[in-house]
Amino acid sequence: MIGIIGNIFILLGCLFVFIAALGILRFTDLHSRLHATTKATSFGLLLILIGVSLHYLAIMVIVKSVLILLFIYLTAPLAAHSISHSSKKNTSEE
Amino acid sequence: MNGLLINIALFTLLFAFILAFIRLLKGPTVNDRIVALDLIASVLMAFILCYSVLVNKAIYIDIAIVISLISFIGTIAISTYLKQKR
Repeated sequence: MIGIIGNIFILLGCLFVFIAALGILRFTDLHSRLHATTKATSFGLLLILIGVSLHYLAIMVIVKSVLILLFIYLTAPLAAHSISHSSKKNTSEE
Repeated sequence: MNGLLINIALFTLLFAFILAFIRLLKGPTVNDRIVALDLIASVLMAFILCYSVLVNKAIYIDIAIVISLISFIGTIAISTYLKQKR
């Protein structure tokens, strides 16, 4: 029963990643695309890691999931800020 | 029932990869391509986590750690290079 709940969490997370990909294709601006891909991907990976932890129910898997999640939530805003900053420097100097 | 939901999730991730790859091919500027490449790394990470659940081997979760590290370093390197080049 708890495996089914984990699989549903994984499917919801994959739908969020798909929404991020839809946003990166349909939006018209670079900042809108950054907004779509950073937030939706972070939340989708949170749901997927919750599903994986519910599927295995082992202490090592939960520790690794928390590690991946901490790293993603620390570095995804940093990468988006760096891309946006490079875009600003490009357009202002030309 | 166990494999069906994971298979649907894998097909969803395949379509997400195709959409991000279209943006990678026809992005107007280099920054759009970097955003698409970052998204492709995240899609690959989600794909490997789903595959780990599908084949029921917990050792595949280590690959997601390595992909998250390499994707962050690559994004920072390319954007810093573009910032310095001007």
